[in-house]
Amino acid sequence: MRLVIFLVTLALLSSCNAVVLGVRLSSVPQTDNTMFLSTGTSPRKFRTLGFVQVRGYGQEWGGYGNLGDAQLDGTIHNALAKEAARMGGQGVINIEFLDENPSTDVEKAQRAYNTVASTLSGSPQIETKDRYVTVTGEVIVFLE
Amino acid sequence: MRTTLLCLAFAALSGCTVVHSVSLPAVPGQPGQDIFVTAGDIATPHEVLGLVQVHRAGVLLFGNIDVIGTDLESGFKETLIPEVKKLGGDGVVRVRYHMTQYTPWARVLGVLFFFAPLPSQVTITGQVVKLKAG
Repeated sequence: MRLVIFLVTLALLSSCNAVVLGVRLSSVPQTDNTMFLSTGTSPRKFRTLGFVQVRGYGQEWGGYGNLGDAQLDGTIHNALAKEAARMGGQGVINIEFLDENPSTDVEKAQRAYNTVASTLSGSPQIETKDRYVTVTGEVIVFLE
Repeated sequence: MRTTLLCLAFAALSGCTVVHSVSLPAVPGQPGQDIFVTAGDIATPHEVLGLVQVHRAGVLLFGNIDVIGTDLESGFKETLIPEVKKLGGDGVVRVRYHMTQYTPWARVLGVLFFFAPLPSQVTITGQVVKLKAG
Protein backbone atom coordinates (compact mmCIF):
# COMPACT_ATOMS: atom_id res chain seq x y z
CA MET A 1 0.00 0.00 0.00
CA ARG A 2 2.83 2.34 0.92
CA LEU A 3 4.50 1.56 -2.41
CA VAL A 4 1.31 2.37 -4.34
CA ILE A 5 0.98 5.71 -2.55
CA PHE A 6 4.65 6.43 -3.27
CA LEU A 7 4.23 5.59 -6.97
CA VAL A 8 1.03 7.64 -7.27
CA THR A 9 2.74 10.61 -5.60
CA LEU A 10 5.72 10.22 -7.90
CA ALA A 11 3.48 10.06 -10.95
CA LEU A 12 1.52 13.12 -9.85
CA LEU A 13 4.67 15.12 -9.22
CA SER A 14 6.29 14.18 -12.51
CA SER A 15 3.20 14.43 -14.68
CA CYS A 16 2.65 18.16 -14.62
CA ASN A 17 5.89 19.33 -16.15
CA ALA A 18 6.58 19.90 -19.81
CA VAL A 19 9.96 21.39 -20.66
CA VAL A 20 10.70 22.75 -24.12
CA LEU A 21 14.28 23.61 -25.02
CA GLY A 22 15.79 25.45 -27.96
CA VAL A 23 19.38 25.86 -29.07
CA ARG A 24 21.14 29.09 -28.16
CA LEU A 25 20.55 32.33 -30.06
CA SER A 26 23.28 34.87 -30.91
CA SER A 27 26.01 35.79 -28.44
CA VAL A 28 26.91 39.40 -27.60
CA PRO A 29 29.23 40.52 -29.05
CA GLN A 30 28.39 38.47 -32.09
CA THR A 31 31.30 36.35 -33.26
CA ASP A 32 30.07 35.40 -36.71
CA ASN A 33 28.25 36.97 -39.65
CA THR A 34 25.02 35.02 -39.36
CA MET A 35 21.59 36.58 -38.71
CA PHE A 36 21.58 38.20 -35.25
CA LEU A 37 18.83 36.62 -33.18
CA SER A 38 17.97 37.78 -29.68
CA THR A 39 15.12 37.82 -27.21
CA GLY A 40 16.52 41.13 -25.98
CA THR A 41 17.54 44.34 -27.69
CA SER A 42 20.28 45.07 -30.21
CA PRO A 43 23.87 45.57 -29.01
CA ARG A 44 24.34 48.25 -31.69
CA LYS A 45 22.32 51.12 -33.20
CA PHE A 46 19.70 49.81 -35.56
CA ARG A 47 16.86 50.64 -37.88
CA THR A 48 13.60 48.74 -37.60
CA LEU A 49 12.44 47.19 -40.87
CA GLY A 50 9.26 45.55 -39.68
CA PHE A 51 7.66 42.78 -37.67
CA VAL A 52 7.16 39.07 -38.24
CA GLN A 53 4.88 36.44 -36.77
CA VAL A 54 5.53 32.78 -37.53
CA ARG A 55 3.32 29.84 -36.60
CA GLY A 56 4.91 26.45 -36.98
CA TYR A 57 2.60 23.46 -37.26
CA GLY A 58 3.45 19.81 -36.88
CA GLN A 59 2.34 16.55 -35.36
CA GLU A 60 3.67 14.42 -32.56
CA TRP A 61 3.52 10.72 -33.43
CA GLY A 62 3.35 7.97 -30.87
CA GLY A 63 4.46 10.38 -28.16
CA TYR A 64 8.04 10.83 -29.33
CA GLY A 65 8.18 11.28 -33.10
CA ASN A 66 7.84 14.77 -34.55
CA LEU A 67 6.70 15.66 -38.04
CA GLY A 68 6.41 19.18 -39.41
CA ASP A 69 7.73 22.44 -38.02
CA ALA A 70 6.37 22.69 -34.50
CA GLN A 71 9.75 23.02 -32.82
CA LEU A 72 11.33 26.20 -31.47
CA ASP A 73 14.61 25.70 -33.33
CA GLY A 74 13.06 25.21 -36.75
CA THR A 75 10.62 28.06 -36.31
CA ILE A 76 13.22 30.57 -35.11
CA HIS A 77 16.33 29.55 -37.03
CA ASN A 78 14.55 28.65 -40.27
CA ALA A 79 11.22 30.36 -40.81
CA LEU A 80 11.81 33.54 -38.78
CA ALA A 81 15.41 34.05 -39.93
CA LYS A 82 14.47 33.35 -43.58
CA GLU A 83 11.63 35.88 -43.51
CA ALA A 84 13.94 38.45 -41.88
CA ALA A 85 16.52 37.86 -44.62
CA ARG A 86 13.80 38.20 -47.27
CA MET A 87 12.89 41.61 -45.77
CA GLY A 88 16.55 42.64 -46.01
CA GLY A 89 17.20 42.32 -42.28
CA GLN A 90 20.47 41.55 -40.53
CA GLY A 91 18.86 40.52 -37.29
CA VAL A 92 15.70 39.86 -35.31
CA ILE A 93 15.42 41.30 -31.81
CA ASN A 94 12.81 41.16 -29.04
CA ILE A 95 11.95 37.63 -30.11
CA GLU A 96 9.04 36.14 -28.19
CA PHE A 97 8.12 32.49 -28.44
CA LEU A 98 5.44 30.14 -27.21
CA ASP A 99 5.07 26.41 -27.62
CA GLU A 100 1.29 26.41 -27.45
CA ASN A 101 0.64 22.84 -26.36
CA PRO A 102 3.71 20.93 -25.14
CA SER A 103 3.23 17.35 -23.96
CA THR A 104 4.18 16.23 -20.48
CA ASP A 105 6.33 13.10 -20.08
CA VAL A 106 3.30 11.15 -18.90
CA GLU A 107 1.25 12.17 -21.94
CA LYS A 108 4.10 11.17 -24.26
CA ALA A 109 4.52 7.82 -22.51
CA GLN A 110 0.79 7.19 -22.68
CA ARG A 111 0.65 7.87 -26.41
CA ALA A 112 3.69 5.64 -26.98
CA TYR A 113 2.11 2.89 -24.88
CA ASN A 114 -1.23 3.12 -26.72
CA THR A 115 0.57 3.02 -30.06
CA VAL A 116 2.60 -0.06 -29.12
CA ALA A 117 -0.40 -1.77 -27.53
CA SER A 118 -2.57 -1.23 -30.61
CA THR A 119 0.23 -2.51 -32.84
CA LEU A 120 0.69 -5.66 -30.74
CA SER A 121 -3.05 -6.31 -30.74
CA GLY A 122 -3.04 -6.45 -34.54
CA SER A 123 -4.78 -3.18 -35.34
CA PRO A 124 -1.96 -0.63 -35.42
CA GLN A 125 -2.98 2.93 -34.74
CA ILE A 126 -0.45 5.66 -34.12
CA GLU A 127 -1.66 8.23 -31.62
CA THR A 128 -1.04 11.74 -32.85
CA LYS A 129 -1.29 15.22 -31.44
CA ASP A 130 -1.34 18.51 -33.34
CA ARG A 131 1.47 20.81 -32.24
CA TYR A 132 1.86 24.56 -32.63
CA VAL A 133 4.70 26.99 -31.96
CA THR A 134 4.30 30.76 -32.37
CA VAL A 135 7.25 33.14 -32.65
CA THR A 136 7.29 36.92 -33.13
CA GLY A 137 10.19 39.30 -33.65
CA GLU A 138 11.34 42.75 -34.79
CA VAL A 139 13.43 42.72 -37.96
CA ILE A 140 16.34 45.17 -37.99
CA VAL A 141 19.40 46.32 -39.90
CA PHE A 142 22.45 47.66 -38.08
CA LEU A 143 23.40 51.29 -38.61
CA GLU A 144 27.05 50.98 -37.58
CA MET B 1 -2.56 -0.58 -42.15
CA ARG B 2 -3.43 1.21 -45.37
CA THR B 3 -5.28 3.85 -43.35
CA THR B 4 -2.24 4.35 -41.12
CA LEU B 5 0.01 4.80 -44.15
CA LEU B 6 -2.46 7.24 -45.63
CA CYS B 7 -2.54 9.17 -42.34
CA LEU B 8 1.27 9.16 -42.20
CA ALA B 9 1.53 10.53 -45.73
CA PHE B 10 -1.16 13.11 -44.95
CA ALA B 11 0.65 14.29 -41.82
CA ALA B 12 4.03 14.37 -43.54
CA LEU B 13 2.61 16.56 -46.27
CA SER B 14 0.65 18.77 -43.91
CA GLY B 15 3.62 19.81 -41.73
CA CYS B 16 4.06 23.48 -42.44
CA THR B 17 4.81 26.94 -41.24
CA VAL B 18 2.73 30.07 -41.68
CA VAL B 19 4.60 33.38 -41.89
CA HIS B 20 3.19 36.91 -41.82
CA SER B 21 5.19 40.11 -41.75
CA VAL B 22 4.74 43.85 -42.02
CA SER B 23 7.27 46.40 -43.19
CA LEU B 24 7.60 49.50 -40.98
CA PRO B 25 11.02 51.04 -41.57
CA ALA B 26 12.11 53.59 -38.93
CA VAL B 27 14.88 54.26 -36.44
CA PRO B 28 13.34 53.96 -32.96
CA GLY B 29 13.73 57.16 -30.97
CA GLN B 30 15.08 59.30 -33.78
CA PRO B 31 13.23 62.60 -34.26
CA GLY B 32 12.15 63.98 -37.63
CA GLN B 33 10.71 60.87 -39.20
CA ASP B 34 7.34 59.20 -39.54
CA ILE B 35 5.84 57.20 -36.66
CA PHE B 36 8.28 54.56 -35.38
CA VAL B 37 7.28 51.27 -33.80
CA THR B 38 9.58 49.06 -31.74
CA ALA B 39 9.11 46.00 -29.59
CA GLY B 40 11.87 47.27 -27.30
CA ASP B 41 12.62 50.51 -25.53
CA ILE B 42 14.32 53.75 -26.56
CA ALA B 43 17.10 55.73 -24.88
CA THR B 44 15.93 59.08 -26.27
CA PRO B 45 14.15 61.26 -23.66
CA HIS B 46 10.42 61.01 -24.18
CA GLU B 47 7.05 61.69 -22.68
CA VAL B 48 4.62 58.80 -22.27
CA LEU B 49 1.26 59.71 -23.76
CA GLY B 50 -0.56 56.54 -22.80
CA LEU B 51 -1.23 52.93 -23.54
CA VAL B 52 -2.89 51.72 -26.68
CA GLN B 53 -4.50 48.47 -27.73
CA VAL B 54 -5.91 48.01 -31.20
CA HIS B 55 -7.95 45.05 -32.28
CA ARG B 56 -9.41 44.10 -35.64
CA ALA B 57 -11.71 41.13 -35.89
CA GLY B 58 -13.42 39.60 -38.88
CA VAL B 59 -13.74 36.42 -40.89
CA LEU B 60 -11.91 34.75 -43.73
CA LEU B 61 -14.41 34.01 -46.48
CA PHE B 62 -13.71 30.70 -48.22
CA GLY B 63 -10.80 30.31 -45.80
CA ASN B 64 -8.75 32.93 -47.60
CA ILE B 65 -10.51 36.21 -48.30
CA ASP B 66 -9.77 38.64 -45.48
CA VAL B 67 -12.56 41.17 -46.05
CA ILE B 68 -11.94 43.51 -43.12
CA GLY B 69 -8.18 43.15 -42.84
CA THR B 70 -7.15 41.17 -39.81
CA ASP B 71 -3.44 40.73 -40.53
CA LEU B 72 -0.34 42.51 -39.22
CA GLU B 73 -0.32 44.88 -42.21
CA SER B 74 -3.83 46.15 -41.49
CA GLY B 75 -3.39 46.13 -37.72
CA PHE B 76 -0.24 48.23 -37.76
CA LYS B 77 -0.76 50.47 -40.79
CA GLU B 78 -4.51 51.03 -40.83
CA THR B 79 -5.28 51.10 -37.11
CA LEU B 80 -2.26 51.50 -34.81
CA ILE B 81 -0.35 54.22 -36.65
CA PRO B 82 -3.41 56.44 -37.35
CA GLU B 83 -4.31 56.09 -33.66
CA VAL B 84 -0.80 57.16 -32.61
CA LYS B 85 -1.02 60.16 -34.92
CA LYS B 86 -4.40 61.04 -33.44
CA LEU B 87 -2.86 60.97 -29.95
CA GLY B 88 -0.02 63.22 -31.12
CA GLY B 89 2.66 60.61 -30.55
CA ASP B 90 5.96 60.12 -32.37
CA GLY B 91 6.06 56.38 -31.91
CA VAL B 92 5.13 53.25 -30.02
CA VAL B 93 7.48 51.32 -27.74
CA ARG B 94 7.22 47.84 -26.20
CA VAL B 95 4.76 46.80 -28.85
CA ARG B 96 3.28 43.29 -28.60
CA TYR B 97 1.11 41.73 -31.28
CA HIS B 98 -0.71 38.59 -32.24
CA MET B 99 -2.76 37.62 -35.26
CA THR B 100 -4.75 34.52 -36.07
CA GLN B 101 -2.78 32.22 -38.38
CA TYR B 102 -4.39 29.22 -40.04
CA THR B 103 -2.46 26.37 -41.58
CA PRO B 104 -3.07 25.69 -45.29
CA TRP B 105 -5.14 22.64 -44.28
CA ALA B 106 -7.43 24.74 -42.12
CA ARG B 107 -7.85 27.10 -45.08
CA VAL B 108 -8.75 24.19 -47.33
CA LEU B 109 -11.41 23.22 -44.79
CA GLY B 110 -12.53 26.84 -44.88
CA VAL B 111 -13.10 26.49 -48.62
CA LEU B 112 -14.98 23.20 -48.25
CA PHE B 113 -17.13 24.50 -45.39
CA PHE B 114 -17.56 27.94 -46.96
CA PHE B 115 -20.86 28.47 -45.14
CA ALA B 116 -18.91 28.74 -41.86
CA PRO B 117 -16.24 31.46 -42.38
CA LEU B 118 -13.07 31.21 -40.30
CA PRO B 119 -12.85 33.80 -37.49
CA SER B 120 -9.73 35.92 -37.66
CA GLN B 121 -8.29 38.75 -35.59
CA VAL B 122 -5.22 40.82 -34.87
CA THR B 123 -4.41 42.53 -31.57
CA ILE B 124 -1.59 45.00 -30.97
CA THR B 125 -0.65 46.68 -27.70
CA GLY B 126 1.99 49.26 -26.90
CA GLN B 127 2.94 52.48 -25.17
CA VAL B 128 2.60 55.70 -27.15
CA VAL B 129 5.46 58.16 -26.67
CA LYS B 130 6.36 61.67 -27.76
CA LEU B 131 10.02 62.53 -28.08
CA LYS B 132 11.24 65.48 -26.03
CA ALA B 133 12.86 68.31 -27.97
CA GLY B 134 16.61 68.71 -27.51
